[in-house]
Amino acid sequence: MKSLLLRLGLCAGLFAASFVGLSAADSGLIIALMPKAKGNAYFLSVKKGADKAARELGVELRFDGPTDTNAAKQNEIVENWITLGVDVIAVAAENKEGISTALRKAQKAGIKVLTYDADALPDARSFFVNQATPEGIGYGLMDEAARLLNNEGEFAIITATLTAANQREWMKHIEARLAATYPKMKLVAVRPCDDLKDRAQSEATALMSAHPNLKLIMAICTPGVPGAAEAVKQAGKAGQVKVIGLGLPNENKRYVHEGVTDGIILWNTEDLGYLTVYAGAALAKGDLKPGAKTFKAGTLGTFEIKGDNILLGKPFVFNKGNIDQFDF
Amino acid sequence: MSIAGKKLTGSAPAEPRPSGSWALQLLFRHETLLLLVLVVEWLLFYHYGTTTNRRGLVVGFGTLDRQFDILRHSCEIGLLALALTPIILTAGIDLSVGSLLGLCAILFGKLWHDGGLSIATAASLTLVIGAGAGGLNATLITALRLPPLIVTLGTYSLFRGLAEAITHGAVTYTDFPDSFLFLGQERWLGLPTQAWLFLLVAVAMWLLVHRTVFGRSFRAIGFSPEGARYAGLPVERRVALGYVLAGLIAALAAIIYTARLGQAKADAGTGYELFAITAVVLGGTSIFGGTGSITGTLLGVAAIAVLRSGLATLPVVLRLNAAEEMSGLLTGALLIVALAGSVLPKILSSLGARRQAG
Amino acid sequence: MKKYFRELSVTAALLLVLLLLAVVAPAFFQPQPLLSLVTREAPTLVVACGMALVIICRQIDISVGSVFSVCSVAAGLLAAHGWPLPLVILASAALGALLGSVNGGLVAGLRLPSIVVTLATMVTLRQGLNLVRQGEFVNLPDRVQWFGLSQAAGQWTLVVLALAVLVALGLAMRHLAAGRQVYAVGTNAEAARLAGIPPQRVTFLVFVFLGALTGLAAVMNIVQSPQVQPLSGAGLELKVIAAVVVGGVAISGGRGNLWGAFAGLLLLACVSPALTHLHIEAYWEKAIQGAIILLAVVADGIRQRRGE
Repeated sequence: MKSLLLRLGLCAGLFAASFVGLSAADSGLIIALMPKAKGNAYFLSVKKGADKAARELGVELRFDGPTDTNAAKQNEIVENWITLGVDVIAVAAENKEGISTALRKAQKAGIKVLTYDADALPDARSFFVNQATPEGIGYGLMDEAARLLNNEGEFAIITATLTAANQREWMKHIEARLAATYPKMKLVAVRPCDDLKDRAQSEATALMSAHPNLKLIMAICTPGVPGAAEAVKQAGKAGQVKVIGLGLPNENKRYVHEGVTDGIILWNTEDLGYLTVYAGAALAKGDLKPGAKTFKAGTLGTFEIKGDNILLGKPFVFNKGNIDQFDF
Repeated sequence: MSIAGKKLTGSAPAEPRPSGSWALQLLFRHETLLLLVLVVEWLLFYHYGTTTNRRGLVVGFGTLDRQFDILRHSCEIGLLALALTPIILTAGIDLSVGSLLGLCAILFGKLWHDGGLSIATAASLTLVIGAGAGGLNATLITALRLPPLIVTLGTYSLFRGLAEAITHGAVTYTDFPDSFLFLGQERWLGLPTQAWLFLLVAVAMWLLVHRTVFGRSFRAIGFSPEGARYAGLPVERRVALGYVLAGLIAALAAIIYTARLGQAKADAGTGYELFAITAVVLGGTSIFGGTGSITGTLLGVAAIAVLRSGLATLPVVLRLNAAEEMSGLLTGALLIVALAGSVLPKILSSLGARRQAG
Repeated sequence: MKKYFRELSVTAALLLVLLLLAVVAPAFFQPQPLLSLVTREAPTLVVACGMALVIICRQIDISVGSVFSVCSVAAGLLAAHGWPLPLVILASAALGALLGSVNGGLVAGLRLPSIVVTLATMVTLRQGLNLVRQGEFVNLPDRVQWFGLSQAAGQWTLVVLALAVLVALGLAMRHLAAGRQVYAVGTNAEAARLAGIPPQRVTFLVFVFLGALTGLAAVMNIVQSPQVQPLSGAGLELKVIAAVVVGGVAISGGRGNLWGAFAGLLLLACVSPALTHLHIEAYWEKAIQGAIILLAVVADGIRQRRGE
């Protein structure tokens, strides 16, 4: 019997604790925003921007997602939201086809659906808040790498996991650009780091000793960039082996200033969250309709809409000169 | 109450008890306690997790849709837990079921997409492959008498690794026909389609483990392998069967998973083995083998599924946005409490005995 | 000779891999990158030593990855709050020991199966850390990196420290009464009890010891870079258990030693950089690691059958 009492106590404690946050407001819109993975610094800064927009608009923001990238969990959470009857669902899709079945169900239930960061199938959502096309990212990274190496030399890629959808998509475009434009450059290896900074550091160390002519490491997941930079710094090869990648300014500032990392490419992730919430609210209120050409989002001004893609603008290259102006 | 009701259609297996009041024995059975917890858990979520939204719709935990979602989402882990029960009854373990699910999912996708086979043929072949992979575990464990923990730790890496190697991590099989997706996403005769398969397997496993001489030998082996051998049981063959069966069921879970998500990818089922083992142990099956039941496992699966999805419905009512973390935390805590609860009476009585003796 | 067959065969396999690398990719042996790679594995070795003890004692601990993450974040936060490094090391080891004592208490005190107990604590700790930290990096002050020494000195310090733990424990297991007690309890707890060894106390202590070593290893890891990622211990448990088992420590307890575990760790740690050096695509890595584990246990099994 004792075990039962303990269990009951556990449940009771949980509920008592949960009540602290209870509030009666049930008027405004509820916008549900799902990251690919919750603990990721990238999505934390998206949430920052989304929170700001939610405050300005007086809507309620739900931010929930898997704790690690998991396509099946994303579907479960969307289905939770459907039965909960939220007004808008905005998803960064871990897997295009996988999530679309759940999103179509949400649309059928009268919920407005958006995607941001990574798109689902077009018929499963109204708009995609597009921070940069995969092509834009892939070409941007490849062009920046070529610029740093004067179009010549060996480079390697550190990716998240071999199965990560976004990274696969970017790599496709990196490789296409490489084949078409830079015949004298060579991609010598692709290594996964499981989104672990420590593992990226080990992988970069091995890459440098295995490929003595390596001139550049391109890390295409956020923990990979500081990991690779630390490895290059410890190998005493700062400047000899250049580091670029997709990363957040705060995690990379020190390496950029030390001259280890040459540049990181990223869009403004806070703006991405802000724009997504504004677009979601406008969609729910009927202010944003298919076919619109522009969209005005609060203090950020007007954004261009191309087809059903709301464009955030070009990715940004952070370097020594400008990185201190950003805090995310 | 649909989920608990559905899963409880089988009555608790009658086991002879040496002494004491029959009613009291039943009350203190692990399954009874777990059922009570499940009911309380369910009622609490029903009460606090259901609300009427602005549009006047009843939303949250208490809706029928929600209950069906719980059932739909627990089918794959439930199948793996069912497959693990006989194995754990024999004091074995299989860590590779989640990885095997991933391998079977992409092989199924590959056979259908690249091999040009019909869905039915591909599914049948996948089941054969799953059983074969289970056979690999079985061979290593029984023919070479290797510890199952380590063998399946090896195949845990091997199966997932093969799935990644075959697809280079990149290929995702999609565009399955609607007739196949019906299995994972629609309802048939009122229930989510895959729930019927799950129930079928559950009933079959219950019959096998509790109603056949064959199945009872699992417990005998777990209780004392030497004793079972002296009693003339073909211990190796019975144990091997458990692992082959687990492979077969993992393949079935892979097909259902593919139908539910509409895609087959090398990371399918990552981490599922932990949930499945948790459900089995929470259900009262001893990890040392010998005791446990299919009913207990079903209750364990239900308790975890209700907890997970109940916590996920709380946000709208209670504005709690950490369902993932909370459910992990509470599942872990629940497991510890259940374990401690299961041994406490034994320890208390042994202390009492020592005091008397002293 | 025959007694150490298992350890010798793993060492032979390791030498074979190294020989292959020496022929095909001599660049692997450049001193500076090699030192870096070895340093990266130093914390893993310390955890593996503790794990070997636990497995020899016929238990298992799959919560080490989560304990490692919790200790890393805690140590990082303390260092960031200005605690001096020696205190941070002590605090981290103490926190690890405390978490280990929870496992040990449940396993030894309540006689619960260690695999399930540590499964539960693994999930609880990991999700608890997620809940509190939400994945945020901890930034460390500059004085933390390499204990404030130069990089080379810091790397050597870590390698020597890890080897010192290995040698001390390896010798203690063979020559000290406490070490022999762990073998005794792992071989047959009841016989050990009759011989006057308290099996529950020994079991409890090996878990506490593993926890403390994991806390120490966490600090040995965070000094290698200026930021701590809360995920840092993810997957560590499987890596360490695999290394120990490949090294010939029997999961059924009582057999094996730390030298074997050391060789096993080096063999498995070699796989990833070796693939990079041999220019083999990364997607074979997991399959190869699985195959090595299976090969090691199959070799065990065949040898045992022959012995019968």
